[in-house]
Amino acid sequence: MLKKRKIKMMLLTAPGLLLIALFVFVPLVNGTRIAFYNWNGYGKTMKFIGLQNFIDLIHDARIGRTTINTLIYGIGSCVLQNVLGLAAAMFVNQKFPGRNTIRAILYMPIMISGFVMGQVMRYMFVYDNGVMNDILFYMFGMDKINWLENSWIGVALITLINSWQYLGLCMLIYLAGLQGVSATYKEAAAIDGAKPMQVFFHVTLPLLIPSITTAVITNLIGGLKLYEMVVGLTSGGPNRMSASLSQYIQILYFDDERAGYAAAVGIFQFVLILVLAMPLNRYLKSREIEA
Amino acid sequence: MIEKKRSTAANVAIAIICILIVLIYIFPFYIVGNVSLRDITDLSSRLLPTKGGSMQNYVKVLENSEFWTSLVNTIVYCGLEILFTIPIAAIGGYSLARTKNWFSNMIRSLNIMIMMIPGTALLVGTYGLMVKMHLTNSLIGMALLGAGGGMTGGMFFYTTFTTMIPVELDEAASIDGAGVIRTYFQIIFPQLKAITVTRVINIIIGCWNNYLMPMYMLQKGSKFTLLLYVRKLFTGQKVQSVPLAFAGCTLMVVPILIMYFSLQKYIIGSQLDSSVKG
Repeated sequence: MLKKRKIKMMLLTAPGLLLIALFVFVPLVNGTRIAFYNWNGYGKTMKFIGLQNFIDLIHDARIGRTTINTLIYGIGSCVLQNVLGLAAAMFVNQKFPGRNTIRAILYMPIMISGFVMGQVMRYMFVYDNGVMNDILFYMFGMDKINWLENSWIGVALITLINSWQYLGLCMLIYLAGLQGVSATYKEAAAIDGAKPMQVFFHVTLPLLIPSITTAVITNLIGGLKLYEMVVGLTSGGPNRMSASLSQYIQILYFDDERAGYAAAVGIFQFVLILVLAMPLNRYLKSREIEA
Repeated sequence: MIEKKRSTAANVAIAIICILIVLIYIFPFYIVGNVSLRDITDLSSRLLPTKGGSMQNYVKVLENSEFWTSLVNTIVYCGLEILFTIPIAAIGGYSLARTKNWFSNMIRSLNIMIMMIPGTALLVGTYGLMVKMHLTNSLIGMALLGAGGGMTGGMFFYTTFTTMIPVELDEAASIDGAGVIRTYFQIIFPQLKAITVTRVINIIIGCWNNYLMPMYMLQKGSKFTLLLYVRKLFTGQKVQSVPLAFAGCTLMVVPILIMYFSLQKYIIGSQLDSSVKG
């Protein structure tokens, strides 16, 4: 009787699992299968070519730069957002008038599509009539800079603006963590003569590790998947040099009509995320302590 | 805790940091608003307040039927995704919360795995699937796709919060002879009202700003979402008008910001809750 009820209970997940199976697993399996074929993405002819797409991937000159960009987007945004997010959380965790407004303002850009934000930022950094160049010229009397024509500046801008936009999320995760850190620990350390810096590194930070795990892993994965900001800000330019792996897949599939190869790059990106995020997740989890 | 009184210097520092944050975060919004009031021929610096600005760009967007179509489409898309996600995720989360075993652990790891799959990696497989099921150029298709992608996260979310409701409550109800599903939606689900509102807000923000999949799945103009309409203003015009695009952008962003600021305490509060308990 009890067992019957339990099975009945488990069956309640069926509709959800069905949706996941249909819209996540079928595309995943299908995409993996396509990676072993030569296919243009719409035609009837699909030729099985074994591992050829993966061999092409190793010899693709673009993969190197695209992977480096993706790593910069992933690791760069993760570091920036976590350091600045923690700083912001500690700042708004103090009592001062208007701190709720500051919180709200820091979280606000998350409401806006990454693509739209990228498009708007493009007009900040364009060469002619760009806002940043005007600031340089009017305020500092400096020459104009061709921001978006240099792929490294483009990559740096994408990382910076992405971090700026999503910093609020990190802030909230750390704020939640900070509110869980009992003040008694900090006071006890202070009474024992610890300096504020020591209290931060030896008391607050270790107790924040569960928040660090959440914030680091979420942002790392988010950055390694970065797509909209790249498309919005530089469209991957100049000459596809600031593209991320996500965008490269889209270019390969829809512009170059190399669906099989695009699928192979997709698997490569998934493995890259897995290899970076899984061990890091395990490591951070092992450092968590019971408070 | 002993409250220490802050020195004047510290207060000044806090004030300066606040002003800097406000400036850095409001600046792009100022530029967009400022430029959206201009004429296309006005090539003065975008930094300077527009002289003799007018609402002509807004009028142009609001007089365009494509804007209204895309607005309606976006609302329908949000509504459908809420409809497809909430009941299924809620009842699934209930099941997982009450049967704590290998099964619920498996869903937990599944959630992290699915989070790591890049959207574009699924693109190739998804597009073919949607064509086969005749779900391209369909808001129902988009909503189903979104519901499937967000389902593990949604179930997980409901699991966390259902665990906090005592089991005695559903036991008491089940003795009265009510079925499991009826018990759930009559007794347990109403307890999760606040949590459901959070989830609904998240879905609305997600649908409103979803870019990748709609771009490929909704290629007919009559099925465009607001974001696709704004994208067209930015990239698909014969004569590109930045002021017009910025006006469109403003009209797209304003509703979501109104929602954010009116429910702000709520959104931030619940975000705090779910990251502690999650």
